[in-house]
Amino acid sequence: MGIGESTGMQIETVTILGANGTMGRNIAAIFASFGRAEVYLVSRTMEKSIQAREKAYISVRAESVKERMMPKDYSDLKECVEKSDLIFEACAESWETKVEIHREIAGYMESSEMTDKIICSGTSGLSITGLAELYPEKLRKNVIGMHFFNPPYNMTLCELTPTVYTDRSVFDYVLKYGKSVLFRTMVEVKDSPAFLGNRIGFQFINEALQMAEQYKYNGGIDYIDAILGPFTGRAMAPLVTADFVGLDVHKAIVDNLYKNTNDWAHDTFFLPEFADRLIHDGKLGKKTGAGLYKTVLHDSGVKIRQVYDIEHGYYREIMQYRFPFVEDMVEALKTGDYSCAFQILEENHSQEAVICCKFMLKYVLYSLTAAREVGYNIHSADDVMATGFNWCPPLAIVEAFGGAGKFIRLCQERLKGQQLEAVDLGELKETIESSRYDYRRFIKAKR
Amino acid sequence: MSRVYIMGGAQTDFERNWSKEGKNEIALLKEAVSDALNETGIEVSELVQLNEENRIGCFVGNFIAEEYVQQGHLGALLTEVDPAFYGIPSARYEAACASSSVALDAAITKIQANEYDLAIVIGWELMKTVDSKTCGDILGRAAFYEKEGKGIDFPFPKLFGKLADETIKKYGLDERRYLDALARISTINYENAKRNPLAQTRKWFMDFEQARHRGTETNALIGGKLGISDCSQVTDGAAVVILASEKFLAEKGMESTKVPYVKGYGHRTAPMLFEKKMKDQENNPYILPWTRQTVVDAYRRSGLTVEDIDVFETHDCFTSSEYAAISAFGITEPGKEYVAVEDGRIAFGGDKPINPSGGLIGCGHPVGASGARMFLDLYKQVSGKAGAYQIRNKNGRLPENAMMLNIGGTATTNYVFIIGRG
Repeated sequence: MGIGESTGMQIETVTILGANGTMGRNIAAIFASFGRAEVYLVSRTMEKSIQAREKAYISVRAESVKERMMPKDYSDLKECVEKSDLIFEACAESWETKVEIHREIAGYMESSEMTDKIICSGTSGLSITGLAELYPEKLRKNVIGMHFFNPPYNMTLCELTPTVYTDRSVFDYVLKYGKSVLFRTMVEVKDSPAFLGNRIGFQFINEALQMAEQYKYNGGIDYIDAILGPFTGRAMAPLVTADFVGLDVHKAIVDNLYKNTNDWAHDTFFLPEFADRLIHDGKLGKKTGAGLYKTVLHDSGVKIRQVYDIEHGYYREIMQYRFPFVEDMVEALKTGDYSCAFQILEENHSQEAVICCKFMLKYVLYSLTAAREVGYNIHSADDVMATGFNWCPPLAIVEAFGGAGKFIRLCQERLKGQQLEAVDLGELKETIESSRYDYRRFIKAKR
Repeated sequence: MSRVYIMGGAQTDFERNWSKEGKNEIALLKEAVSDALNETGIEVSELVQLNEENRIGCFVGNFIAEEYVQQGHLGALLTEVDPAFYGIPSARYEAACASSSVALDAAITKIQANEYDLAIVIGWELMKTVDSKTCGDILGRAAFYEKEGKGIDFPFPKLFGKLADETIKKYGLDERRYLDALARISTINYENAKRNPLAQTRKWFMDFEQARHRGTETNALIGGKLGISDCSQVTDGAAVVILASEKFLAEKGMESTKVPYVKGYGHRTAPMLFEKKMKDQENNPYILPWTRQTVVDAYRRSGLTVEDIDVFETHDCFTSSEYAAISAFGITEPGKEYVAVEDGRIAFGGDKPINPSGGLIGCGHPVGASGARMFLDLYKQVSGKAGAYQIRNKNGRLPENAMMLNIGGTATTNYVFIIGRG
């Protein structure tokens, strides 16, 4: 049976609003390629939509999808909405902008018999329920949060969020469509601030940012990144990731979480003062040329990577840290000796190894806490971290440490107070399951 | 001759780039070997015991690690994987992209001759250690390098592009129809790869329109009429197959009637130079007569015909080589291959499915590993362990017999194996 046969639903035509943005155009390419859908690219101006079409196919490496993308502007929106089976809003992450756009869509739909169109928002943190309430009652059942990660072709995660109004059969259809047609890793999450992936990921990144401030006399930003590098199960060190994402986006996510959530990691969502200062100075990260890191072009044409020195308030060359525990771990990992590498991490009691180990333990505990609150099962945290961040997922980290028993013993030994009390370790031992992901591919033999 | 049984094995995830992970060939081999032992339920202590009795051997297939990772003596290198390999006879076998088929052949022969009771066959290649142009040059050594490779950018796509030209010429084919059949072959392989959790391209996008529009920015022409979509990609990876004698199965308490075994093989060598190959085939109905002969030999040895084969894995280093394999297998007569493609016979749901794994184009082509990977995939198919890419016939039955074709160079070394149950 085809995926839509039980509901009579089909997704053949899609409208993307905000198609000129990076996410908008790359999501459009996903629908046009895997989904084989006709896609209307809607931006403020026709010119921007034409540019989006010229760029979008590159992300899926296929010119064949170009002919399925039609550039449009807002004057065509009514017609696009009428012709579409799914309307996807990928506009700027501002409540006011989104309200205006969704009201406009609602206006076109209200007057007609179009009660079966699916309405999705790609928001990374705003309330889906709030957006649904902008629609008249008969349309609210079709509003769903559909959160893709950047870049969508490489990061297959798609967090799907129903609201109290959502029609389950519509939701299930989109979930199935995403999985079997778009080849996404579909994870159902609750309508909770920042959803699941960003909640876990930005907890880690922001705590790294706080630690950079705390250890500013040791070097700060590059010091912490050297402790939490690729050998801990990620392609990029966490503060390099923050710089890549942009400090403004980072701030929006952690401020939202700080304001609207309250769990044992609450304080770790507080943005350090130095980061606020950088944002104020327009130093947002890679996209503005400087942020936590900066690339300067030497007269000789050589590119030099610099880092922001929190203590002194200027950029300086990155320190080439050589921590013995990192050197030993990387050496072991090079020849695939994972258990030896994790034994080194456990047995080395230098300040750096202790920080690293604690971070990894807390990452797992917080993932499980967040999965319980925002997701539906223990594997959802694994799915979001592996396919949305390309980080070694939490259950796989437990396996890398040597299994649940070993992991819990380490938690008892290394963590204290709130962190431990918040998690029932006894229950954890019972509920922890083996990961569906292989930790070996995530743990790199790299500094 | 004694029967040779297949215990199973393991394949690494072909999506992985081991250079990007900072890991070397020892890490690759450790993972592949330990996964294979886990998969087959064989303990390291059993290897040690068998070794004491001189009943085990290791057979390594690798094309050209000397160039990619500056390492030779690859049989002995296994002693770096685990001390359990100290003393175990092991050697490396090479026949370009058919390297691990030679390793399989040697292992099979030893068990057939009652010399060993267990054989571990390991095919591997790390290719992403160099840039793509250097990689293409290194692969040129699978042809007659002096005459066909040296100083030429990407010699192999050009040679298989010539095979496409010669195929059109030989059978007087309609060029558009032939190239569309090649585009369909590519699309089928990419589609099949989507079901394979270890395939290199499982997240990539490809469709018929993209595959058939060659000469565009995203599907540049790379060898004559062939585009990027007609080529397998550079891949890192390893595949391990564990073979056993009936005696070993009995020791493990396994019922031999339930274990797949090797039913036949073929091994033939064609002229090295592509030009000589083409001259050699002029009066033969097949464009690759030695490839066809290899298949015929395997049918003869197994007492089977094409009617008996439920699933195939072939060496689609390029779409033009899979095209030629269709008639070599006997699925169609030579010159009529496009009919099987157009009718969907070789697709996942067809009566003669080829490459449910995704093949070299979809699953990946770490050259020294490909033969072992195909062999492992045949095992998975006949034993019902292929998961989402499991082939079943109309009655829902598992395949009984499966055939693979692994070639080295421009179909210079040809290897065929048939494995099956019952």
